[in-house]
Amino acid sequence: MPYNSVKRGLLFLVLGFNAIWVQPVRAALGSDAASVLTDGAELQGTVHSVPGQQYDMEEITAASGVRVREFLNRTGIVFAVSWSGPVVPDLRMLLGPSFDSYTKAVAALRQPGLHRSLRIATPELVVESAGHMRAYSGRAYLPLLIPAGASTADLR
Amino acid sequence: MSPIRIPHYAACMLTASLLSACIGGKGSSITSGAPPPPVVNTMALIVDTGPAAAPGAVNHAYVTVRVCAPGSTTQCANIDHVLLDTGSWGLRLVRSVLAAGTVTLTAETDAQGRAIEECETFGGGQTWGPVALADVTMAGEVAAKLPVQVMDDTNAGAPPPATCGANGTLINTVMGFGANGVLGVGVFAQDCGAACVINGAQLAAYYGCTSAGVCTAENVTLAEQVTNPVAAFAADNNGIIINMPNLINANGDTSVQGELIFGIATQADNALPATGLTVLGADASGDFTATYNGGTTVLPALIDSGTDAYAFNDSTITVCSTGSFIGYYCPAVTPHDVFAVNTGAGANNATNTVNFAIADPNSFLAGAAAFGGLAGGPGSTRFVWGMPFFYGRKVYIGIEQKMTGAFTGPYYAY
Repeated sequence: MPYNSVKRGLLFLVLGFNAIWVQPVRAALGSDAASVLTDGAELQGTVHSVPGQQYDMEEITAASGVRVREFLNRTGIVFAVSWSGPVVPDLRMLLGPSFDSYTKAVAALRQPGLHRSLRIATPELVVESAGHMRAYSGRAYLPLLIPAGASTADLR
Repeated sequence: MSPIRIPHYAACMLTASLLSACIGGKGSSITSGAPPPPVVNTMALIVDTGPAAAPGAVNHAYVTVRVCAPGSTTQCANIDHVLLDTGSWGLRLVRSVLAAGTVTLTAETDAQGRAIEECETFGGGQTWGPVALADVTMAGEVAAKLPVQVMDDTNAGAPPPATCGANGTLINTVMGFGANGVLGVGVFAQDCGAACVINGAQLAAYYGCTSAGVCTAENVTLAEQVTNPVAAFAADNNGIIINMPNLINANGDTSVQGELIFGIATQADNALPATGLTVLGADASGDFTATYNGGTTVLPALIDSGTDAYAFNDSTITVCSTGSFIGYYCPAVTPHDVFAVNTGAGANNATNTVNFAIADPNSFLAGAAAFGGLAGGPGSTRFVWGMPFFYGRKVYIGIEQKMTGAFTGPYYAY
């Protein structure tokens, strides 16, 4: 990928955080940390890491205004992802193996319509998606993989 | 300057396009420099169970929109059951419904001659299809050569790119929307705005598609974007008023008729009230803010006829796990009284408390279409005043940068 000036600008902005990559990134729920760096080019964002007590967070900021955060447990598995921005990132990419469960659950909802507040919850997968044109946000997590002591309220 | 009285015949010549103004008239007068006579600016709005192809809709407000190929007086169709949506911007119509009305719309093309297509996200999925020009008529108002989205349920255009509706989240069909189209009449003039114009960051929204069906994200001008038809009217283009009666039955009404009025403070029938109006300015995303039930969390909020329920997070209310409304709230006691406090953004920064009651949807009558107590949204980080908010209210939507009496859009008011 070309290393363009927008990314270079972001690089300067985020200096001071622990680790910096300037690469196309792709997070996938349920996958390992390597997926953050090696998958697809869709987001074309800058990543910085924020280590935490129970888990690490990696935040991806794209020039388009889309922000994705992913949360890795101590075994290095992405157990939660969140997003916000003027458009919704590719959820097939973000949700990874959970994407099929998500689409089946959406299709099973009784009410057709616009779903500006959508929640899918099964024992294995929770997806919350809200917003409208110009302002979308949401998150998805795997309840069984949430580290002990972590609060779902912080996974945003 | 004092009014100048001119002869009746001269007035008729000046208003020749409105012949009725000259029939049997005596003593009519106009004021020098006055605007042309008002056009019909009010149309019916109905909440019912939806189009025949997708029955069972709840709290969907529909209008009938007349759509013609640009410049044509014959290639026209009246499209019924178009969902009125104050939470989006622009008109989107299902291609097979247009085809049934023998209306064919041709995609706009970009500078490279490629068809402009759009991927637009509505919570549960994406619409995909070309952006095309159409002449759109509602009541007596016309938006000529208006960019609309054709929701490509018959896959006549380029297939969606991998980033749009991948693997089954496309909702281009009448079934997917519970409607033949979506009429976005919110606070903005275009659906994407400046974010899709800026060079250097192509959002996954507009695409240029080759005749071979290869689509690449691109930026488009404001004029090319899918546009709120109201903003494109010649007159009465500064906003809308949605006027809905109270519901009759707490367990659900089979249908409700209201009014959609174009323009604010432009005609005698759309004046702003002198007192008692709450005006909530919207921010760059189209939101004001709300706090729920005494909480301190400030939530982005909007008044959204396209959402079928009050939608917000309240972990103390049971979520329905059985019945027809799984995922909505099923309060143990009906009615369950709650409230939220709205605060406007920017200059129109009013604060107003709204009390409302939610009900157990399993008490709703089978076959009914309008439920005033429907609520949902567990887990949401937003507050949505959905269609139930509109019952028994006049809601005003002021379009960005337009003056409406003393207030400038974007705003929501009630």
